[in-house]
Amino acid sequence: MAQAAQRLHDDPMQRGGRLYREPPPEEVQPVVRLRGIGKSFGPTRANDAIDLAIAPGEVVGLVGANGAGKSTLMRVICGLVQPDEGSFEIAGETIDFTHYSPNAALARGIRIVHQELSLCANLTVTENFMLEEPAPPLAPASGWRSRFRERARRETEEIFPGVGLRLDARVEELRIGQRQVVEISRAAATGNLRLLVLDEPTSSLDAGRSGHLREWVRNGAAKGAAFIFISHKLHEILDVATRVVVMRNGRVVWDGAAERTSVATLVEQMGGHPPAVPAGSAPVARQAENAAPPLVTVAGVAAGLNFRAGEIIGLAGLDGNGQRPFLHAVRRAGRRGVAVAGISCAAEPGFVSGDRRGEGVFPLWSVLENIVVGGSVRRNLLGIVSATKERRTVDPLLDRLRIVGSRLDANILELSGGNQQKTLVARALMHGSRILLLDDPTRGVDVETKQEFYRLVREIAAEGALVIWYSTEDAELLECSRVLVFRDGQVTRELRGGEISEEAIVACSFIEPGGAGARGSQAHAGPSFVSRLVQFAPAGSLVVLLVAMVALNPETATPFGADLLLSAAVPVVLVALGQMFFIGGSEIDLGIGPFAGLVSVLSATLLVAQPFLGGLAILLALAVYAAMGLLIELRRMPSIVVTLGASFVWTGCGYMLQPTPGGSSPAWLTAAFNWNVPDLPTSVALIVIAGIVAVLIDRTRAGVVLRGFGNDARALRQLGWSAAAFAMLRYAIAGCFAAAAGFSLTAINTASDINAGNAYTLLSIAAVVIGGCELLGGSTAPVGVVCGAVTLSLIGALLGLMGISTDYNAAVQGLLLLAILGVRGAIRLREARA
Amino acid sequence: MSGFHHWAERNRWVWSALGVLLLWLLLDVLTARLTLANLSGVAQSAAFLVLPAVGQMFVVTTGRGNIDLSIPSTITLSAFLSMNIIAGSNSMLPVGLAAVLAAGLAIGAANAFLVLRLRIPAMIATLGVGYILATGALLANRQFTTYTVSSALSFVANQRIAGVPVVLILAVLAVAVASFVMRRTVYGRLLTAVGQSLPAAELSGVRSGKIVSIAFLISGALAALDGMLLAAHAGGAFLEVGTPYLLDSIAAVVLGGTLIAGGGATALGVLSGAFLLVLIVTTIQVAGLSIGMQELVEGVIVVLVLALSSGGGRTRPMRNRPGFPRILRRAGTR
Repeated sequence: MAQAAQRLHDDPMQRGGRLYREPPPEEVQPVVRLRGIGKSFGPTRANDAIDLAIAPGEVVGLVGANGAGKSTLMRVICGLVQPDEGSFEIAGETIDFTHYSPNAALARGIRIVHQELSLCANLTVTENFMLEEPAPPLAPASGWRSRFRERARRETEEIFPGVGLRLDARVEELRIGQRQVVEISRAAATGNLRLLVLDEPTSSLDAGRSGHLREWVRNGAAKGAAFIFISHKLHEILDVATRVVVMRNGRVVWDGAAERTSVATLVEQMGGHPPAVPAGSAPVARQAENAAPPLVTVAGVAAGLNFRAGEIIGLAGLDGNGQRPFLHAVRRAGRRGVAVAGISCAAEPGFVSGDRRGEGVFPLWSVLENIVVGGSVRRNLLGIVSATKERRTVDPLLDRLRIVGSRLDANILELSGGNQQKTLVARALMHGSRILLLDDPTRGVDVETKQEFYRLVREIAAEGALVIWYSTEDAELLECSRVLVFRDGQVTRELRGGEISEEAIVACSFIEPGGAGARGSQAHAGPSFVSRLVQFAPAGSLVVLLVAMVALNPETATPFGADLLLSAAVPVVLVALGQMFFIGGSEIDLGIGPFAGLVSVLSATLLVAQPFLGGLAILLALAVYAAMGLLIELRRMPSIVVTLGASFVWTGCGYMLQPTPGGSSPAWLTAAFNWNVPDLPTSVALIVIAGIVAVLIDRTRAGVVLRGFGNDARALRQLGWSAAAFAMLRYAIAGCFAAAAGFSLTAINTASDINAGNAYTLLSIAAVVIGGCELLGGSTAPVGVVCGAVTLSLIGALLGLMGISTDYNAAVQGLLLLAILGVRGAIRLREARA
Repeated sequence: MSGFHHWAERNRWVWSALGVLLLWLLLDVLTARLTLANLSGVAQSAAFLVLPAVGQMFVVTTGRGNIDLSIPSTITLSAFLSMNIIAGSNSMLPVGLAAVLAAGLAIGAANAFLVLRLRIPAMIATLGVGYILATGALLANRQFTTYTVSSALSFVANQRIAGVPVVLILAVLAVAVASFVMRRTVYGRLLTAVGQSLPAAELSGVRSGKIVSIAFLISGALAALDGMLLAAHAGGAFLEVGTPYLLDSIAAVVLGGTLIAGGGATALGVLSGAFLLVLIVTTIQVAGLSIGMQELVEGVIVVLVLALSSGGGRTRPMRNRPGFPRILRRAGTR
């Protein structure tokens, strides 16, 4: 069959006979028409001579094994990939690929929902809806929040009636299924939607929501929109599609009406073998059950469960009902040799994850290295490794896994998903455990490789290993000797042998206690009381500090005393707020202090002597700073190192302008930092103003987008936001704060010193982190940052009041930093375990 | 050419080595009186940088944006510690060495504890520890009494064997051992694995905590050793002795071709990276430029080398890498 199909598209002459093609609906203007699209990635021909026209009102089900070229084709349509050849029309307009981008696609009403969710987890549902409408960084945007909240409510309820999302909840607080709801509704909210591409839209939806979605697609099609529906769940395709397109090896091999095909034929056309696994046929050594001692025991379930060698235990149920935590509990129990959550495990298990990119492959390594590392794990750390010697130990595995030996030296990422997965199995086998845990291993793997995989699992079990297999594809569980059905974190049913069938699994998943309706309304509990308390740690420590200082010396509470103490905090606050925008963007600027120093030098020298030239020089410095952001973005360099290099540049410029400390502050600058409102210490006012400005920037649309870039830059880029423009904006904002800090240094000291800013770099990082921002980006907390910065800069004064040597200043700063973070980390750990 | 590209991708130290060669030639032309003596001055400065930079390399390779910012304070503290304990006597040298190493290991252990147990990002944890150590150095400064250096230590820090500075031999030795560890031992392989993808390493059964801890211990110990040698070299400890090594140790590691995102290290690159940095400074000095120009040129070169070696993302499957620390590079695909 496979050979016949191969011949079929090797020889176009034969197509007429075997390849069914619906006559293209010439009478209506197609939404999109592709002609002869071809695209190669290196030696791989991802798309080859693809012709496809989609009429309004059509729902095209697109199927094909992994690597068939579906994703590439969709990326061409959506402007993410430029094809090597072919032509493309949208509603009759011929598209010039060189000027075609995700933005251009969106403008023409073409939208894609990617398989991997592209939401920013740190933003709210409403804010994620806003991201759908890309705008330049400085475009005015008043009232966007209420506008998009309304849109979010309307769209989610229209597609998924009764879903009841909390629109001001951050996406990270939502369950995976709810996130998919947001993702889909957001795409559907696109204004002039002409064509919506849904790439595996139902992978995390339960049956009810999946039904809602298909219903909505049918309605949308009836109103004249076109859809491309990609799914591995073929019955869904046949349910929703009016027309099915099958791709294989980069070509379209079948294109016809949905009612003229069936699951079995589709599988065959994709190059797979029809699943020939009748229920209960899994060749498993069930007789061993009572003989061998159990390898894994689970207490707490009615009568306790024992898993023995030779068994394949399936974990079933709706996604996210505790299967994965169970699998990881087994792993931890085996690893630590103690019971975890009532589970004990006799040996450290091997583990194969289906999330290859996230927790499977070592991306810099070759296939061989990825395999042999499994064997190294158990060796002495000082043992000698030799890849050539280990190659021999791998050989026997290659045959079994059907990995071609010549590919061993290729980088792992050059392999298809299925072959990467086989590599991971090989690694687990090198580990040599009697227990193998599989975490949805066939996710995104083509049909053929899946069959090989099933055979392999059977063999492994037959050789006396225990396999525990979590799958999201119920049909796969027919391979198992026993299936545990999970519901709300509990094993609610154990199916054995003949009892195992897809229908039984589905039935048990849905009808068990709790009811299917309870799922959607379940949201994560909010942050615990303790963690909420910790959020106030920066403000709290500041208050404690202030109280202590006033108690020690009441003078500090007078406007004059406060002003004196806090004037030193002004530059710290300003630099820290600048740093906050970097850290919010997952970057760190190690040159921000020297930059503030440079601006200080400029303002105390050039700006005094030649105000115009000085002003120009400062603007130029800011422009260079923003350009550095652009350079980092375009060349994709690590910001940490670039800013480190830049810090030398700032310092060097400063030295050249002013080799020794000196200069003077322009009169207007001194006035700006020393105006006087009765009873209001100037420095307090300045700090408050700086904080308010930062809060305002953070709350604008551009501020939200900057946080979005910190969380998931790729997603924003795919939505059409300009990464380069926002990188420059980020650096410009931070640069302005740093420049303000430089001015304040000059005004306060009435002189400048290029080295005056150096200490602020690390101090600002400490302040930002104490303030509650995550170092991994995406979170900003201006108020916390201000509190953190003031606290850090007051510690020295407090020590002075207490009569302790200021030698201890740094130590107290460090301890405070570590203490706040330590407590925060401990709480997070406890919550993660709970 | 593509063969060279492929080879250079696997041997990332080659770029910094080329840089060293170029600058050396330039120096030769500029001065026309390049003697082995002033070259060995460069070698000596580079050697003092190599030791902490090798430690930094191990920490950077653990991935997730890990960087050891406590190195300068460790150097300073151990400089004071060694001067105070050894007090110029050879007989106290073993005690001093043991104390310095113990301090370095303790600092490494503290860093590891904060990073692994309390889950504080390495950059912040080592920053905090650095602050505390700075106070320690201030206190040690009060006790500081002697400027005499034990003769044995002075030999290591200042003397030459056959024209080659002893400390350079030590540094080359450290690089050789580190290179062997990274390329040929189980530890090196597992460290590289952890640096590429912590989740994947954990699920493959790697005890990542142990692996990462060892990296911090190595870094602490090497920095402490360096502090002792620097004090002996300078003939006394002072508060700023460690300061330059904060930025320089990172710069040497990265210029040498070690991936700042982790999972890819080259010890040989650290050696050439350190030489490159020191040569840059020397060249500028020889060219008679001001200290401001010195800093400026050094900065521009660091940025340029990075811009060139990031090569438009040719070798960058790493930006799509799982658990890739976004703090270093925002995720993105072409």
